[in-house]
Amino acid sequence: MNHKQGAIHFVANNNLKFEDGPKPLFVRPSSAAPVQKKNEEQKQPSREEVRALLDVPEIKDRCADLLSRYPEPQGALLEVLWLVQGVLGWVPTEGIRWAAEVCSCAPAHALGVATFYTMYNHAPKGKFLLQFCRNISCAIKGAQPLIKYIENKLGIKSGETTPDGLFTILQVECLGSCGNGPMMLVNDDFATDVVDGQLKMKRGTTLTEESIDRIVEWCKAHANNVPKRDVLGGIVKGHMGHPGVPGAIAKPQVADYAPPSPVLNVKAEADETGASLTWKGAPEFTKLVVEKKNGSNWEVVGEPSVKDKCFVDAAGKVGDTYRMIATSGERVAKPSLEAVATQKPVPEEKAV
Amino acid sequence: MSNYYNMPKLPTENSPKVEIFVDDKAVMVPGDTNLLEALKAVGIETPHVCYHPYLPVSGNCRQCLVEQEGPRGRMLVIACYTPVSPSMKIYTPASSERVKNARKATQEFMLVNHPLDCPICDKAGECTLQENYMEAGQNESRMRPEYGKNYHGNPAHQFIDSKGQVRGGKHVDIGPRIVLDEERCVQCDRCVRFMRSIAGDEQLQLASRADHTYITTFPGEKLDHEYDLCVTDICPTGAMTAKHFRFQKRVWLLSRTPSISMDDSLGANIWIDHAEGKVWRLMPRCNPEVNRSWLSNTSRLAYQNFQKNRLPAGDIDSLKSVLAKEGKVALVAGGSCTIEDLTALKLLAEKLGERAEIFTGSFAPVLPADGIAKSGDPVANRAGMKLLGLPTGNLEELLKRAGEFSILLSVHCDLFENAEAAKTLETIPEKIALSAFDDATAKAATIPFGVNHWSEVKGTMVNCNGMLQKLSAAPTSPDSNLRPAFSVLAELAGISLSCACEAFAMAGKNAEVLSGYTYETIRSTGVMLDGVQL
Amino acid sequence: MAECVKVCTENFGKGAQDIEVYKKLGGYENISERLFNMSQFEVIDHVQRSNLRGRGGAGFPTGMKWSFVPRNSGKPVYIVVNADEGEGGTFKDHYLMMEDPHRLIEGLIIAGWALGSRSAYIYVRGEFLPCIESLNKALNQAYAAGYLGENICGTKFSFDIFVHRGAGAYICGEETALINSLEGQKGQPRLKPPFPAVSGAWKSPTCVNNVETIMALPWIFKHEPEEYAKLGTPRAGGTKVFCISGDVKNPGVYEAPLGTPMMTMINDYAGGVVGGNLKAVLPGGSSCAPLDAGECAVATMDYECLASMKTMFGSGAMIVINDTHNMAELLNVLGNFYSHESCGQCTPCREGTGLIHRILNQIVEGKGHDGDVEFMQSLSNGFGGVTICPLSVSLGGPVSSYTTKFRSDFDELIAKNPDRAKPRVQETSRPGIFW
Repeated sequence: MNHKQGAIHFVANNNLKFEDGPKPLFVRPSSAAPVQKKNEEQKQPSREEVRALLDVPEIKDRCADLLSRYPEPQGALLEVLWLVQGVLGWVPTEGIRWAAEVCSCAPAHALGVATFYTMYNHAPKGKFLLQFCRNISCAIKGAQPLIKYIENKLGIKSGETTPDGLFTILQVECLGSCGNGPMMLVNDDFATDVVDGQLKMKRGTTLTEESIDRIVEWCKAHANNVPKRDVLGGIVKGHMGHPGVPGAIAKPQVADYAPPSPVLNVKAEADETGASLTWKGAPEFTKLVVEKKNGSNWEVVGEPSVKDKCFVDAAGKVGDTYRMIATSGERVAKPSLEAVATQKPVPEEKAV
Repeated sequence: MSNYYNMPKLPTENSPKVEIFVDDKAVMVPGDTNLLEALKAVGIETPHVCYHPYLPVSGNCRQCLVEQEGPRGRMLVIACYTPVSPSMKIYTPASSERVKNARKATQEFMLVNHPLDCPICDKAGECTLQENYMEAGQNESRMRPEYGKNYHGNPAHQFIDSKGQVRGGKHVDIGPRIVLDEERCVQCDRCVRFMRSIAGDEQLQLASRADHTYITTFPGEKLDHEYDLCVTDICPTGAMTAKHFRFQKRVWLLSRTPSISMDDSLGANIWIDHAEGKVWRLMPRCNPEVNRSWLSNTSRLAYQNFQKNRLPAGDIDSLKSVLAKEGKVALVAGGSCTIEDLTALKLLAEKLGERAEIFTGSFAPVLPADGIAKSGDPVANRAGMKLLGLPTGNLEELLKRAGEFSILLSVHCDLFENAEAAKTLETIPEKIALSAFDDATAKAATIPFGVNHWSEVKGTMVNCNGMLQKLSAAPTSPDSNLRPAFSVLAELAGISLSCACEAFAMAGKNAEVLSGYTYETIRSTGVMLDGVQL
Repeated sequence: MAECVKVCTENFGKGAQDIEVYKKLGGYENISERLFNMSQFEVIDHVQRSNLRGRGGAGFPTGMKWSFVPRNSGKPVYIVVNADEGEGGTFKDHYLMMEDPHRLIEGLIIAGWALGSRSAYIYVRGEFLPCIESLNKALNQAYAAGYLGENICGTKFSFDIFVHRGAGAYICGEETALINSLEGQKGQPRLKPPFPAVSGAWKSPTCVNNVETIMALPWIFKHEPEEYAKLGTPRAGGTKVFCISGDVKNPGVYEAPLGTPMMTMINDYAGGVVGGNLKAVLPGGSSCAPLDAGECAVATMDYECLASMKTMFGSGAMIVINDTHNMAELLNVLGNFYSHESCGQCTPCREGTGLIHRILNQIVEGKGHDGDVEFMQSLSNGFGGVTICPLSVSLGGPVSSYTTKFRSDFDELIAKNPDRAKPRVQETSRPGIFW
């Protein structure tokens, strides 16, 4: 190495000179450098392998259905990534790129999303993904000893897969079944026990060492016919999609589907200055009319502004009947309920 | 990530002034902006990391906390996302212990998983974290080595160092021009927002979450964009560093000269960072109306050639004797000629009388504007040429009528780079090239004459929007005998100009609109010329 | 234990997953002329009068939330159901969606009518695939029966419901994070304002409601809103679905009126504490401050009482802890949870939750030091009110309250470290003249 003698003696005199001007110094360490990598590199399938599995009519139909649900294609990104995981069992890099293309977003964006959410697997998992809750309710009821038990039983640590590729153990946060804690997910099934040859999470049951044994046995028995679930919980037929999206047939909501809003909660209180009306108005009102009953006819007594909180009919007295009619744009609502003016309570003198 | 469409509103000269109370003292601040900018306008600096005036507000660093009096008492708010409202009450660390402690706490959190390697970090000296630490930091560490550090890093790059500590990726080759140090990233999200909102190409993203978050491109892809070096400017830490400047020079040893990039007609404002007579880098200089804080890679990396392949100064008497000969003279001005150069050229044309004709322009194609910091027009001072009544881009005509001329004088214009033009112009017997570089034209010239490069001269230019901007001379001329082109041209015209300001004053005689200005009255961010038809 | 009116759980165990059974039990009766003759404003007023408060945790009045939604802005209005139930101890939405999906659909149609929404999304957390299957089955039936789709029951009103499967992020329970997730982004909370009611999903007005809130609507409309209001306390109407888990005989989901005493819930509904004596109760999910045995004896389960005891009602998830547990170990579980679920946006939360978890780990492993507890308290003070969303406070709060109320548990573990008094070493400071 070319050591520059006397280059640095004092901080104050630290004026390094480069005789030969700016030159890129960037040198990558050779691959032989003795650096211990923390993680093994995950082997990724090629673009062609991934596309051969994903570019099939069935998946394309699902994607079209998903894209029609959101005003922007990016909205379907999580669901499309689920489809990738449903087909491949995990989300390889090329699968993320495929999802980004389907949802018309940048691949880097899709990568950020796919790594943010913990349920997307970035490495292949065993046939049975055993997820154990380690959150507080399950921890109180002894989740950790059970996790130790299954780790010993299968001979692997959490996060690892058995050599036969059958089981992967994961410790996860709350699975939303604290009443059955400790409990687990076997792939997508909540399970505390096996009942009649089915994984079950019955009310009041919790996971025990014996039930874990039964669940493991059940899994081994089903190793060759793992129950297949749709990653998005089945297809919903009949929806119209989101209005304005290619592939959707839905039309925007019509503005006048509901009757126009009437004035609510009209109250009239009278004293010597007249009858004062209060009401509850909707923000869409454009015009308000106050009417007073005169025999069997209704007479208009005033048009308060839609922003007013109170209207006073100077001629009003106790026993008069009022109603209000609101207009919203071009539509006139039905009249409000009739309000009979009552005596206004005398405001109490404030105690000094 | 959040509200990525919220661009901050910045104060302008015309902002209405409102009264707010800072630490119970009434101050007048711009009323249409956020608190951080408003406080800056009255001289109160607020430490911040993620906020950048030309990027959407993300509000994730939580460093710019101030206290605001609200209906529920005094609340901590982030200054960068709080709009100014009249008579609001604000408390800064000057009066509020709570704000002081909150900023201190945030600063401590910021450094929990940040490596302590400032001495070997290339950002040291211009690092936001260092600045904030001096402003708001915890003076004594409270960490124990037992707690350990959780360095941020891509799982694919993480390694275990000699002490058994898991480390993030160092010197990751993230792109052709940029090196990434994953550990030093503080997840401020600025580069992600720049690439998404300004560059319009979302190549970067923060992956994973919590304290495992790391910055990355899509696996197998590189960060590669015409503006990608801007992320090294906006990166508050030493995470993203430019390969061309990495480990070349400590930043506190650099001096800065404000100037204008003369390779594009937008005239991006730049700092010329120099030391020991050498240009070490160009940095964007913020000008809200021109290039904001951005600079294209082309303009930025141009400095690498500023001092290479330079043409030595020539003998001015031989120029004079050539011009004294008979025959028509073609005076050709290139795109990087300043107003002063053009004025002197015009004086020379006047002296030569009818036998001189001025041509201007460049053979480089005009590209569409990119809307960031380039207009695409390589003739930087085209507007200035028009202002002085010179033709703007008529080199085609020169080629057509090349046979008429017996003398060709080119100023900062590489005519012979274009093969077709070279063939036509070769026939002119006397060829003078006033050029900074020993380029094709200088090589073909009968008299090559070296002059100062635009980075070494004082001068002015008018950009494509009619903004009059001034260049300053960085003391980086490789040879003290080199002179600016205007000075040479003026001498040829028989006029003695002792400085650029005199040339600019002459320009005022040719263009009425310039006569009201002197170098002192042109602001560092330029002045908009009124009533100029471009 | 008095028999209480069942609002949300009345169809439990009756096979209401099937539309025919649900209709026989009185379902979809609201989707009739009675609703179609009401204006949007009247429906919102109805909900306001019922005094229904959001059941997700914050307890914001639902009617008021709806009244903030601009109904004639020209933009579509979205209703989003928050079924991203991930808080430790909360599991009511899981059961509600499994047992009675049609009630959620019926409630959503009412909400859709009130707000003029065309599309509604049910954001279900990814782990609840069985719930999604149950909802999708119900949606298929509802579409076939004409309760959803174009021109519902011959009116001009059209409405679609989509189920969106999340993918594992607790933070998506925060409404703006949920909206980001719905938009196909990382689930990171947004800066506010603008609030979602004005500019939420795809910059349109968006109303985010909890599953239980929406499921209360059919009952409110079938009966009178005042009747619902009467079931609860003066400031919050109705009944509440409580989740009781931890050291009790019968953990599970129980519906009870607001204001029920805590000990009644534990002893009468859940069959009492097992495995030891009562040590503490987390009354509103994992992020609230615990109440010790003395406080539990006087606490009632409603918003006001618990707020006055410096804890919170939250989602009504009671976690009962007996005296065989060390609170420091449980806090370590929470530290693990919150440091894992931080979205990584705000600095204090991103770096701080992880640091607190590392300190707690040291303590639990018997390697704690004197001063660690004070350091954690000081760190958790740094969370207060400085982050975009309250996730950091969800850990900071428990750190302060556990260490004050159950300090001896921490000291007991720290005492296991023989070197606990060792001074802090500044490894980074070096002698010398350089730097």
